[in-house]
Amino acid sequence: MSRRLYTLLATVIGLAFALPLLWALSSSLRGGSEIFQHISRLSWETLVPASPTLANYGALATGAFGRAILNSLLVALVTVVAGLLISAAAAFGLSALRFRGQGALFAIVVLSFLIPFDAIAIPLATLFRDWDLTNTYAGLILPGLGHGLAIFLLRQFFLAIPGDLVEAARIDGLGWFGVFGRIYLPLSRPALVSAGLTLFIFQWQSYVWPLLIGTGTDHQLGPIALANMRGQFTIDYGQLFAGSIVLTVIPLLIILRFQRHFTQSIATTGLK
Amino acid sequence: MKKSLALMSLLAVLAAAGCGSGDAGANTLSFLGPEDPKTFQPVIDGFEAEHPGVRIAYTQIPFDQLNSTLQQRLAAEDETIDVYTVDQPRVSALAARGFLADLSDWKDRVKQAALPAQYDVNEFRGKLWSVPIWTSDQFLFYNKTLLKQAGVTPPSSDPAERWTWERTVEAGRQAQARGGAQWALIPEQIEQYYQLQSLPESLGGGSGITGTDMLTPALTTEGWIKAMTWYRDLFAGGLAPRGVGSFQTSPLFTEGKVAFFAGGPWDVGTFGAAKDLDWGVAPYPYFEGGKQVTPTGSWSWGINPASKRQRLAREFLEYAALNPEGNLLTTKASPIIPANRAAFEKYVPTLDALAGEKSRGAGEILTYDADHTAVARPRSVGYIQFEDIMTKTFADIRNGADPKTRLEQAAREVTTAWAQLR
Repeated sequence: MSRRLYTLLATVIGLAFALPLLWALSSSLRGGSEIFQHISRLSWETLVPASPTLANYGALATGAFGRAILNSLLVALVTVVAGLLISAAAAFGLSALRFRGQGALFAIVVLSFLIPFDAIAIPLATLFRDWDLTNTYAGLILPGLGHGLAIFLLRQFFLAIPGDLVEAARIDGLGWFGVFGRIYLPLSRPALVSAGLTLFIFQWQSYVWPLLIGTGTDHQLGPIALANMRGQFTIDYGQLFAGSIVLTVIPLLIILRFQRHFTQSIATTGLK
Repeated sequence: MKKSLALMSLLAVLAAAGCGSGDAGANTLSFLGPEDPKTFQPVIDGFEAEHPGVRIAYTQIPFDQLNSTLQQRLAAEDETIDVYTVDQPRVSALAARGFLADLSDWKDRVKQAALPAQYDVNEFRGKLWSVPIWTSDQFLFYNKTLLKQAGVTPPSSDPAERWTWERTVEAGRQAQARGGAQWALIPEQIEQYYQLQSLPESLGGGSGITGTDMLTPALTTEGWIKAMTWYRDLFAGGLAPRGVGSFQTSPLFTEGKVAFFAGGPWDVGTFGAAKDLDWGVAPYPYFEGGKQVTPTGSWSWGINPASKRQRLAREFLEYAALNPEGNLLTTKASPIIPANRAAFEKYVPTLDALAGEKSRGAGEILTYDADHTAVARPRSVGYIQFEDIMTKTFADIRNGADPKTRLEQAAREVTTAWAQLR
């Protein structure tokens, strides 16, 4: 009996959390003036659009937002691929090799992700401007590449790989790059997935940085295109909701796809 | 496999880096603002047609981040900004920090070309820092259907027969009781100083800022307290809704739930597009026995002193502000009022006809207000902080705070915020 009660309670709480998102979804399927029609008196029509339309999504695809989503995807994917290589190499250096100052170096890595990015964004933007990186993809991608948290996650995972395995490979004549590419990387898929997701989310939601380095329309990212839809005098709420849904669904799909690896990695990073 | 992956990612980074900013040429002017690119396309096209070989690259910055982004980039002497839009009450603060190029040699030309209230707002410490592009006004929109059902005669569009706030509220109340209106009267910018300044000003309470350096708050005058008490009662009495933000209010009027709506010329287009809505437009009200005061002011444009293309930037400003044709083009894509006198006169009939019979009279009100009742926001280096504090104050009063106590608190907050500016 109490078990059923708990299930019911959990369902109600779950629905309460999902409700705003469902409302946004249903609003994105309505025409402009219909959105606020059913809000002052709650009824089933508040959540179910009377005549659903995909017009808002159509308008998004043709406007600046479509381009911005592609830009966001490009920036995030390049960051994930290049960032993972850099972070994994750094983590490998910090775990498999032994050298003087290793502890200090690791401390710097940990410190680097404890400082919020927004705190260093302004001076960093000035540097990027001097290097002529304003309004370029490189300017958008570079700050996301070396991510302290990704290095930390990977290093913890790498530490769990038995030293004997490395020793055996070395005796068999495998170089350090071989050990890294053929032993460490294939064994660390869960950790790579979680580090990759960290990098992806960092870029997907970046907002202050693209504004600081003067991103023009050609290089605009999704969150900024979404904010730009809020005009000064009029707001197209239908498109705004549709844009929010698109921006939410893409990372959601990616997380769902890699969910299994992600939970696995969290469960095993602490193990030796 | 791993090798090819590494190679691919490297190539991707290099390719991305290669797509650099190729448009930083000597003849490309970069222009920053919060509007949708479509808004400025006509004026940009017009300017480019008159200046072959010149290109204007416009970048939109989200409205809420415009000021902070500009502040950070201008402080870093970012030369990739040439021309930018300036919210008129912020001219003083931007000029004081050295973020605007001096345009004083245009003083006489701007004085001659602009509408009366549109010169002063661009001046600070005797110098001219920006040029006026747009101005604004407020109207009283009313829902014809609701008033008819309540048996209320709607207000006239004649500025000589301007209604008082008291009369508007009374008529709105009747529309609620007998006409089926959900709300009696909603001011569009329900928590914004832009709109609410007109209330204490009408009662002789002043703008809220005083002193020779305009750094002394004057928020506890009789006019302010009386106006804010009236404003609190509007919400406490169920005449206007709580919990709806500025600019979320116009959908309520569009849905036909509101008897009276105090809004701007931009609403003429929005309301005109609502098919089943029958409405009309009347002059913005004032308090009985008080002064007729209407909100005004909008955006100017200025030049970044760090820009390397000063000459070209001035030519663009000249075209958009001083050339009536160019100024009119800035209003082509969205219904906002041009600040150039000659452009304004051409624009008035357009606004009058924008929504057919419904918007008739809007042009006449606009012309009358611009010459007689428009009161701009105060010019103070501390305006930015002042506006932030006032937005919160209005929100609290709207939600039931005691007007006198809350205004005293606001005055203390403003004094503290301004201490470092003195």
